[in-house]
Amino acid sequence: MLRRLAGISLACGILLAALPARTARRPHYGGTLRVAMGASLNSLDPAVAAENAEEAAAKEEIDALIYERGKSAGAWELTGPFRISEWQPGKFLSLAANNDFREGRPFVDSIEIQMGRAARDRLVDLELKKIDFAEIPAEQARRAAERGIRVSASQPDELLALVFVGGGSGAAGEDARVREAVARSVDRASIVNFILQKEGEAAGSLLPQWSSGTAFLFSTAADTAHAKEIWTQIAPSPKIVLGYDSGDALEQNVAERIVVNAREAGIPLAAQAIQAASNAPANAEMDARLVRWTMPSPHPADSLVNLQASLVASGVADPGSFPGRASSKEVFEREQFLLNGYRVVPLVWLPHVFALSSRVRDWQAPEPGRNWGLADVWLEGDEQ
Amino acid sequence: MTFRARLFWIFTLALVLSVGLVAAGVTVVTRRAFDDLHSQHTDALLTQFNRDIDRRKQDVVNRVEGVAEDEGTVYMATRLATSQADVSSYVNDANGVAKSHQLDLLDFVSNDGAIISSKEWPARFGYKLDWVLQPEDWVSRGAFWMKADTQDGPVLALVAVRVQRVGDKNLYIVGGERLGREFLKSLVLPPGMRALLYLNLDPNFQVANLLDLSDTAIEPERFASIIQEEQAQPGEQTARIQWLQDSASAEVFHALPLQGRQSELLGVLLVGNSQREIVMLERRILWLAMAVVVIGLFISALLSWWGAARVTRPVRRLAEGAREVSEGNWGAHVDVRGGGEIRQLGQAFNRMTQQLIDQRERLVQAERVAAWREVARRLAHELKNPLFPLQTTVENMQRAKEQNHDQFEEVFRESTGILLAEIENLKNITGQFSDFAKMPQPELATVNLNEVVRGVVKLFEAQFGAVGRPPITPELHLEENLPTIQADQMQLHRAVENLILNAMDAMPSGGVLMLRTTHNDDGVHLEISDTGTGLTPEECDRLFTPYYTTKQHGTGLGLAIVQSVVSDHGGRISVESESGVGTSFHIELPTKPRPKPPNPQASAPEGERS
Repeated sequence: MLRRLAGISLACGILLAALPARTARRPHYGGTLRVAMGASLNSLDPAVAAENAEEAAAKEEIDALIYERGKSAGAWELTGPFRISEWQPGKFLSLAANNDFREGRPFVDSIEIQMGRAARDRLVDLELKKIDFAEIPAEQARRAAERGIRVSASQPDELLALVFVGGGSGAAGEDARVREAVARSVDRASIVNFILQKEGEAAGSLLPQWSSGTAFLFSTAADTAHAKEIWTQIAPSPKIVLGYDSGDALEQNVAERIVVNAREAGIPLAAQAIQAASNAPANAEMDARLVRWTMPSPHPADSLVNLQASLVASGVADPGSFPGRASSKEVFEREQFLLNGYRVVPLVWLPHVFALSSRVRDWQAPEPGRNWGLADVWLEGDEQ
Repeated sequence: MTFRARLFWIFTLALVLSVGLVAAGVTVVTRRAFDDLHSQHTDALLTQFNRDIDRRKQDVVNRVEGVAEDEGTVYMATRLATSQADVSSYVNDANGVAKSHQLDLLDFVSNDGAIISSKEWPARFGYKLDWVLQPEDWVSRGAFWMKADTQDGPVLALVAVRVQRVGDKNLYIVGGERLGREFLKSLVLPPGMRALLYLNLDPNFQVANLLDLSDTAIEPERFASIIQEEQAQPGEQTARIQWLQDSASAEVFHALPLQGRQSELLGVLLVGNSQREIVMLERRILWLAMAVVVIGLFISALLSWWGAARVTRPVRRLAEGAREVSEGNWGAHVDVRGGGEIRQLGQAFNRMTQQLIDQRERLVQAERVAAWREVARRLAHELKNPLFPLQTTVENMQRAKEQNHDQFEEVFRESTGILLAEIENLKNITGQFSDFAKMPQPELATVNLNEVVRGVVKLFEAQFGAVGRPPITPELHLEENLPTIQADQMQLHRAVENLILNAMDAMPSGGVLMLRTTHNDDGVHLEISDTGTGLTPEECDRLFTPYYTTKQHGTGLGLAIVQSVVSDHGGRISVESESGVGTSFHIELPTKPRPKPPNPQASAPEGERS
């Protein structure tokens, strides 16, 4: 009995001794979360379209902080977790916590967002503790971690794929053998290991393994010999132009690596930068291009429906009925169907990588279809 | 061509040749000197180029060594030597390191030859660069030319390799400098020179592989031949390319082959040297030489003209003097100045003309004395013949008066008759002398010589066939188209008459009298021949001397009158005779009488008078 009392007493003593530290780790209100992003937004009006994908993503995240969909007709209402306190278009945005937010007041009092900061600058800012939060390119996650920066990565939910748009002058993309030769020449492992610095997964399927569970059934290995053999059977040998977004360093690196892989197989592939404004499905100057697609949902069937719609809209896939709540087998078969003919060549799955300062607490990388949960984070050392 | 003109052309030609040869010699020597200088200049520049390239090689070696010894590189090599080596984390390192060491190309190559990181082609990581694994002492090799693969295609580069060895693992550092327009820009070239770089990246000549900063290669394909020669046999070569028709547009290109480790031709550095300045300089010299030649020609022409005039002036005076002498002015005097042979010649000429005058004077005096003697002899002879009968008749009359008074009247009558006859004879003699002395100047008129001849022959027709004397047969060979001449018809008539009388006297036994007329460009010709006894050469020589006669009762004035008439008409008379065969007189008369030269008899040759 004594021993039990002693034990209880000891436990209580330890608990009491640990109470101050426990209190310091407890979520609390207050503080300003400093955020940096690469995009420069000139308007916070949700009706105004973004100029490129990066701006669109950034706008979507900011909209989620200040807007909510209304009950009537889905109109945007300024009832989000934060309210705008200062706005310098293209440069700076200051948000204050909305005490009346229906899900409860955010932990932080305010958020300051610096816009137009390059990825390298964002990492430097983090190192210098000038900011607390930033999304960084996946390929820089390793280097950031080596530099002592907290890194948080989501599940790989963004697909980087090569899509034959069939708009080249020689119509090389219309020949399935050409597409197959190119697809087989790509060394995805090198892209993941070297370009992405092992931050991502080689993709052979349209859905990631964590979502569909069948991705491992699709080969990701390069087969240069086979590609070369196929190419030797194609006469006359067309020249293939691969387009990539001129503002996307990752796409450029991947495109250049694909060029090297293709040349190894004897395929005359040339990479060509294109402006974001000409980010059209079928560009008259190119046979293929790199595209990014982000899963809208963690559910494989929903994501595949979305992807198929995008491909149909781009003209690289035939429309077909596909149930929104399909079984795993149906999803797999649909993937196979879409990948047949090599019009879409999955390359890598990319995670969303976030760099955090050490005082940011309770951060969770968002799932597909979800936004940054900045209303749920709190800052250590800013207790009121 | 005159002597002066000949001398002028000889002097001019000699001077032109001399000036031309000197100008050509100076031009050739100058051009060779310029070419030598140009060649030395180019050689020096090429040597400087080679030094620059050696320095650049050493610079590349230093920079690659700097990369190899860099702390990051050593750290990389150390990490890669461990069993958990992860090469992927270094994939982007080459770019930053290359920039910090100012290298255009930089590859980190792992122990197995795989590219870890590449500056010039970042996407080529993982691929093998096998040649770095070949056993070679990269330190002693230094920098070398290499065809490097880059993202934009193959390029020509100056590359060095260094090895960082940690444990049993090597980390190869392949760094270099790309050769392109920047390389050309870095070359310091004097004005008029330029450098081009041909990248031998294709088996055949490709215009696109020829780099030129100045963009003055109007026709880059013209470099094909020199490049192809380099491709066939690498080595320093020289070629001349003339871009336009103007030779000043030419450039001399020196080709320096850039060879790789295996002596393969990777590029050709073409150092062009514009010929414009040297061509312009040569042209200036040529123009100057031509100007000198032209001025020399002008001056030489003036000098030649002056020299020829100076040399030929005494000769011309001598020629004028000789012509005057030939025209009868024996007193011609040549004024020769200066010295030398020409002066001696002039003095000799003057002495000769003076001697001629003196001799002529002496001859004239001698002839005059002889003539007077002949006149005296003839007069004495002619007068002596009638005087003797006069003396005899007067003595007969005196004797008849004294001795035979009865027959005195008869004697007186006969004697006065004889006296009157002899006195008449004396009057005739004196009349003939008077006529000869009073020979009038011819009164010129248009005369047909044939008519004159026919008229005279007609007068003598009766005497040719006179009874009691042997007949003389006249033969006339008169040219029908004989031109008329300007002459005194009466004097010609008398001359022909005298010649016919002379012929008749020469044919006491009869014969043939032939008269022939012909003409040529100089005038008409009359030949009167007889078949008489002929004359001796001595008689021919003196035949035209006044008062000389071979006849018993001749006055010796007939042929003298004939010669006087012919001479007054500007003609000539000559005689040909052969003893026992006959004699022929030839008279040549000009169409228009020439002026009569002074003292014609003094200058006429023997046997021929004009």
